[in-house]
Amino acid sequence: MNAQPPSILLVEDNEVNRAMLVRRLERAGHRVITANDGEAALDAMHTHRPAVVLMDMNLPIKDGWTACKEAKNNEQISHIPIIALTAHAMEEDKAKALAAGCSDYATKPVDFPDLLEKIAGWIDANA
Amino acid sequence: MTAETDQPEQWASRILAAAAPFLAAIHRPTVSIEPSLAGDIEALEDALLRVQELQRAPSSDFHHDLLNLIGAIRGYSEMLYDDSALLHPTLQDALPPILVSVSGTRVTHEAPSQSNQPLPLSDAPGVILAVDDMPENRELISRLLSRAGHTVISAESGEEALELLETRGVDVVLLDLMMPGIGGAEVLKIMKEHEGLRATPVIMISGRQDMDQIIACIQAGADDYLLKPFNPVLLQARISAGIERKRWHDREEDYREQLERNERFIRQTFGRYLSDEIVEQLLEAPEGLELGGDLREVTIMMSDICGFTSLAEHLPPPQVVSLLNGYFEQMTGIIFDHQGTIDEFLGDAILAVFGAPRRSEKDPERAVRCALAMRDAMATVNTANKAAGLPVLSQRIALNTGMVIAGNIGSEQRAKYGCVGHAMNVTSRIEGQTEVNEILIADATARLLPAGVFELGAPRELVVKGIEDTILTYPVLGLTQ
Repeated sequence: MNAQPPSILLVEDNEVNRAMLVRRLERAGHRVITANDGEAALDAMHTHRPAVVLMDMNLPIKDGWTACKEAKNNEQISHIPIIALTAHAMEEDKAKALAAGCSDYATKPVDFPDLLEKIAGWIDANA
Repeated sequence: MTAETDQPEQWASRILAAAAPFLAAIHRPTVSIEPSLAGDIEALEDALLRVQELQRAPSSDFHHDLLNLIGAIRGYSEMLYDDSALLHPTLQDALPPILVSVSGTRVTHEAPSQSNQPLPLSDAPGVILAVDDMPENRELISRLLSRAGHTVISAESGEEALELLETRGVDVVLLDLMMPGIGGAEVLKIMKEHEGLRATPVIMISGRQDMDQIIACIQAGADDYLLKPFNPVLLQARISAGIERKRWHDREEDYREQLERNERFIRQTFGRYLSDEIVEQLLEAPEGLELGGDLREVTIMMSDICGFTSLAEHLPPPQVVSLLNGYFEQMTGIIFDHQGTIDEFLGDAILAVFGAPRRSEKDPERAVRCALAMRDAMATVNTANKAAGLPVLSQRIALNTGMVIAGNIGSEQRAKYGCVGHAMNVTSRIEGQTEVNEILIADATARLLPAGVFELGAPRELVVKGIEDTILTYPVLGLTQ
């Protein structure tokens, strides 16, 4: 159990996007695990303690906002920064995400260099 | 028009149209695919086919599904673009249209208005002119550079580029080599021959196969080059370097303009009172010039035309002006030749100083030589007057040496270089008692003259109004034989 924890938990229900982001993040040197819904995301946060969570907000079973709120109310995982992935140009989504306790947000389709910077920033902040 | 203003269905169509060359190329036997990129290419194809599928059979949440696919398409095509050096040329060319079609921000040809604020040198965003006949290349450049905060204007031809360069302040030009009409090399040549455009950095863009022409362009003055497809990081770096060069050039230019302004100011301020020679001297060493006013010793000359007031009363005004101008023209030339500074013309009188703004040990001697030359010149003046039917004039000149305050005197609206002080008034008094055609100098001046150069007459003590002591003076007869 001494393996290095993953740097990123990617929570995304859309398989095409998920596969793409995993590929890109891995190519950028990250260790990535994934979850398909909000419930699985909370489980993965408990089990793997990733450095950063990238979370789509429109998720099945438990949506991103709810998952985020629950994570922030759980002492064991509340320290893990969550970057919300919100649909482009939807201001209320961003506001809602921050209100739910997300640390940051990135709009979709993602500006990848910008996303990498945000991830690096949160990893550094928690280092 | 931005992509967001499209209806989702239109956007999907646009993406598919942009992707058609890519989809057609990947299965062409002649298009080889580097194994390490095969996965990305396959994934991009898959996402594009899903857009096609979505369009054929729209889902309940078309927009949401499309956005997901757009995200994937953008991600994969950006990844491929980063590695585009490994791609077959056909695929290299097929990627930019896809990238443009899925990018959320399309940059218009009109740039936002620029502020006049000076920008700091490093990392400053600049105005970039992208010249390329391929719309997708222009848009890709716009997208990449706008993200870094630059203002991008674009031109689709050499002609349009030259037009824009005439009217817009551009920091760096990205210039495609191969264009119909005026090509990149020609635009570069025209820019380098143009005074105002010569300093604008130019980065040539071309395919790998045009290396010979790129080298020719570098020799012709291009600053740098980029090969298509661009590496975004390299593009940014070269743009930054270009902007930096341009900023330095602009600063130098500002500095030079400032110097020119100062020079113009000095010329305007002193041109009327000083000989060109002294103006040049001042310009060469402006730090030696005290404009604020300083106390200094000068030799003062005052001259006038004997009986001019009554003469003028009997002449029509145009003749008076003509008479005065002929006389002043001669005298001004002589005073400037002797490095005197004309302080003022007062009616028919000339007030000049020797020793301001530049002083020299020889000021008194020069002043006396000047006076003698002026007296000699009266023959020329009178010959011309006789020929023109004007009266013959006679002159008198007084010289005195003393301390005055020299500087720009007056109000902010109207100031002139001049001298004030008791010595000025004394000169005027001496002049009042100078005989016709005489040069009368104060003892203060006479004592500073080199021995044996001038022949002086018998000393004369003047009693003048307002001055308690008498003033010792000598008439100057001429140069010692």
